[in-house]
Amino acid sequence: MSKKILIITTNHSSYPGADAVGQARMGYSANTYIIRVPDPVMFPEDFYLRAFDRGIGGIIIMSSGSDCPYEGAYERLSKRVARVYEQMRAKGIAANRLKLTTICTVCRAAFLKEISEMEKAVAAV
Amino acid sequence: MSDIEKIEVDTLVVGSGIAGLQSALDLADQGYSVAIVEKAPSIGGKMISLSKVFPTLDCASCITTPRMASVSHHPRITTLTYSTVDAIKREGKSFTASVTRKPRYIDEKECISCKRCEEVCPVYLPDEYEQGMGAKKTISIPFTNAIPQYPVMHPEHCIRCGACARACPKDCIEFLQEPAPVEIKAKSVILATGYETTPMTAKKQYGLGKLPNVISPMAAERLLAPHGPYGRVLRPSDGMVPGSIAYVQCAGSRDKSIGVPYCSRVCCMYAIKQAILLSGSLPIADITIYYMDIRAFGKGYEQFYNNARAMGINFVKAKVARITEDEKHNPILRIERQEGDSAPAEVQHELVVLSQGLVPGHDAAAFGLGAENNDYGFVKLSDEMVSSAVTAGAGVFAAGVVKGPRDIPDSVVDAGSAAMEAASYMRKL
Amino acid sequence: MDEKTRDEAAKDNFRQEPKVGVYVCHCGGNISDIIDVKAVAAALARYPGVAVAREYAFMCSSNGQDLIAEDIKNLGVNRTVVAACSPSLHELTFRNVLQRAGVNPYLHEHINIREQASWVHKFDKAGATAKAIKLAQAGVEKVLRKDALNAIRVAAEQRVAVIGGGAAGMRAALSAAGKGLEAVIIEKGPALGGKLLELGRLYPSGEEGAAVAGKLEALVRADSRITVHTAVDIDFVSGFVGNFKINFKKADGRSEQVKAGAIVMATGYEHYKPAKGEFGYGEDANVVTLPEFIALMKNSPAGRLALAGKEIKSLALIHCVGSRQVEGVHKPQADGKINDYCSRVCCTAALHTVNQLKDKYPGVRVYDIYRDIRTYGMQHEEYYDKASKDGVLFMRHNEADQPVVASDRTGHTVKVKDVLTWGEELEVKADLVVLVTGMMPADISLIKSQLKLPSSADRFLQEVHLKLRPVELANSGIFVAGTAQYPMDVTEAMAAAGTAAAKAAILLAEPDIPLEPFVAVVDEHKCTGCGLCPPECSYDGALMMGEHNGKKVAVVNPALCKGCGACVAVCPVRAINVAGWTLDQFDAMVDAIAKE
Repeated sequence: MSKKILIITTNHSSYPGADAVGQARMGYSANTYIIRVPDPVMFPEDFYLRAFDRGIGGIIIMSSGSDCPYEGAYERLSKRVARVYEQMRAKGIAANRLKLTTICTVCRAAFLKEISEMEKAVAAV
Repeated sequence: MSDIEKIEVDTLVVGSGIAGLQSALDLADQGYSVAIVEKAPSIGGKMISLSKVFPTLDCASCITTPRMASVSHHPRITTLTYSTVDAIKREGKSFTASVTRKPRYIDEKECISCKRCEEVCPVYLPDEYEQGMGAKKTISIPFTNAIPQYPVMHPEHCIRCGACARACPKDCIEFLQEPAPVEIKAKSVILATGYETTPMTAKKQYGLGKLPNVISPMAAERLLAPHGPYGRVLRPSDGMVPGSIAYVQCAGSRDKSIGVPYCSRVCCMYAIKQAILLSGSLPIADITIYYMDIRAFGKGYEQFYNNARAMGINFVKAKVARITEDEKHNPILRIERQEGDSAPAEVQHELVVLSQGLVPGHDAAAFGLGAENNDYGFVKLSDEMVSSAVTAGAGVFAAGVVKGPRDIPDSVVDAGSAAMEAASYMRKL
Repeated sequence: MDEKTRDEAAKDNFRQEPKVGVYVCHCGGNISDIIDVKAVAAALARYPGVAVAREYAFMCSSNGQDLIAEDIKNLGVNRTVVAACSPSLHELTFRNVLQRAGVNPYLHEHINIREQASWVHKFDKAGATAKAIKLAQAGVEKVLRKDALNAIRVAAEQRVAVIGGGAAGMRAALSAAGKGLEAVIIEKGPALGGKLLELGRLYPSGEEGAAVAGKLEALVRADSRITVHTAVDIDFVSGFVGNFKINFKKADGRSEQVKAGAIVMATGYEHYKPAKGEFGYGEDANVVTLPEFIALMKNSPAGRLALAGKEIKSLALIHCVGSRQVEGVHKPQADGKINDYCSRVCCTAALHTVNQLKDKYPGVRVYDIYRDIRTYGMQHEEYYDKASKDGVLFMRHNEADQPVVASDRTGHTVKVKDVLTWGEELEVKADLVVLVTGMMPADISLIKSQLKLPSSADRFLQEVHLKLRPVELANSGIFVAGTAQYPMDVTEAMAAAGTAAAKAAILLAEPDIPLEPFVAVVDEHKCTGCGLCPPECSYDGALMMGEHNGKKVAVVNPALCKGCGACVAVCPVRAINVAGWTLDQFDAMVDAIAKE
């Protein structure tokens, strides 16, 4: 397994948040791959399991949380992630390799904290 | 001067705070062309520097940035930042505005917003965006999410070392740049010049702005912002985490002695919001709000106020007669409680926020277009019972706080109706 | 090229074998000082599907843009990946390059290797370069799976239906007509004016409510674009954005239908009606509501304020009746909920009334029993000031210590635990008790249920977002104006109604409404008709089961879909996707990233 971290961001808030980290020239590990979506609620459970299966070390879902522009999406997303955890447990994948969090457009410190925590989780595998 | 830049649009919007941005968008989305003139180097007004906004606690930047981006990418909106409207002349059925683009001392057409100039600049200045609590370079992009992302150089502080010019990959530093005149021709004008807060120096009794741990609410916003100057809430005098924080309400409103007899409408709610945010970041701190009446009158506001009380924030109905400090710069408030024991008392806090009120940001009547001011310098409407935007000047409309204090939801709503009045007016021209 | 030819060209491009052009920007050292851009271009040039890969100092410059345009022309490049700064800065720039060169602009993928690579991995050049290669490869995988997209267009009726003919409704119709749209006001009452007709003198202008209604009505009647239907009953409302149908019965029994592209809900409010016995209301004739008192004062002669022949020499106002209610202190309303909101206008309305009372009957003693005085508006504080100067005695109570009204033959005694005088229980004698009642939304349950309109916990209509979309309901094409949304005064209703009209005008700015192409799309060949996806959708009518070519399939209404993708996740056969953001694209990106 690689140490690669997949970061799922939203067009609305966490992708601009990742840009804000860059604009401030803060540093983090290059093992991180940011993809952006309208809303992570679109990913089925098997998207995450498949990514782990292909060798992704850790996944951070950076949602828009309460700033989410879509009705009911965050609630659905968190329920889905709970189901992903169950399936991960069944497959023996450490739970801390997947994290659901909320990152705003200027949440630079929180962004870096999530990455460093995931690095630790991935390193421990 | 044959090379004067000329712009012709349907509507000129003066000011790019949330009201100006929204009225520009509401016109441009109907097909009108709009020019926005903003005196600051970035669009976004006061709102872009706020932390979170009541009553939903959305991140202010997350709400403002998409509006700013829509404006800057809009094919029918021209944005002139760091520019002043020097005069507007009415000529028949149109207006001609004389605008000056202030020099940023860079070539905006070439700049790629890479901040290399900023990285190498050796001269630091107090950062006004951070209310003086942080430092910025003499050449710098005004703040993280500024639009446009161009740096501004402050020549009065520049030591002409040339480091920025050498570092710039596009060779776009222009030490000799001059102010550039622009002429904007428009069929209608929307005034959206917003507000300033009542000055910290307004009240002798409150320390005239000289007590280091008595701060403005705008400074508190920056302390609370996720990308603020210290990344956490620290008090200015010694960098200590404050254990007890007080808000003095109506410190610049409902006060005839400073010429602001009216209620500023937003201060109760921003104080409650900041108190809620503070109790999140400093869970063991004592937070007290000294108030006359809590005016939580908007949608969801009363419930927000009730949440704050349930969180343990202290609301004390009291007048604050004066503020002094002890030898450790802890502010001492002399209060007269208006409930329970009314004997005057002195209470000590470690940080105090003066809930300043709102005063006009610009004398809009000075443009001489027929729009008149009320007694306090806000723009008067010709008949507010039938329209929320029509002024006494034909073709001149007003949006947002230029007409008097209002909060963000009220300003956004207001802006659309100003756009609509301008649209109706232009159709009938 | 006009739009049509461009679309045709885009389709032709799409039919061709995909040829990806990859462009890596140096950003004048901002990227190239950290990332080995030549290595990135070289690695991408070898990648399957890539026709050409280049690196250049400034891709956003006009020379950089020309590079792409020439490759489209000379090499037949029909999809592009640009690895440069954040898409927030230049994604549109490059989409426009494609559009100008005759390629569908959505066949572009923007890779961020500045804000999200070179600027954050300064001390790991090799790592940053490897990352840039992976991200660009993932970008190629994504763009290979992209479809040409075009704005979806829905034909729209160029007409705004305004439900409610009060202050807000008239203003909304006036503003829409001012822009040149047709507007139809549908009012259930016999005349235009709504609640204005019942109110006395209004703050801040001091005019009679009926006079304000008259001014607005004169403007409405003078505008040939506005049609007015009064005394009608709406019986059926249906449709969606661009195509609403409102059916109503007129007073003469005939039915009529209005077709509209947009609806403005200006359905207003009702005065809170105190429950029987609430502060003695309904049990004692000398306990009245503020609107009732305003009528009483209006009809009383100068010099003597009287109710049923008995002179009123003193009165007590009790604020917040039916507003700011507290769980455990106040009895719930009929629906089991308390009114925990502030009704916003009542403090000012009460003091404005007291000012008039004191001008007309200076001798009347007035006690004002309140919790907070909320005179927030520009002139409102002056009413408060004047009341104090006129000798009105203010008493303030805590929410838990409600005033108690006791009546006997000699009048009323109001007991107040007044915090302004050390929490002492005071008793005031008053000939009349005036309950300062708040607002509740008018009953619009029929329209609400037929159009599935959302309401907030306070029962008023719920906007999408208080700051971003303050007058839009979640139902596309339906807007709210005035007190149907929340208590507000006339001046505030004017602003809200003007903005509701602005949103309708924006929607109807063109004969057909262009909608974002990023909506859910069903692959009918794959869809098994299992029905799992509609329950996931939060937007009523956006996703339903239907029939197509004799087969049960999921059907998306693009006019209602918001493109969140909640439906996508539950489809067991991947038959539904959000256009431009498909699961296959993301799987392929993950594969490219994960590959060692």
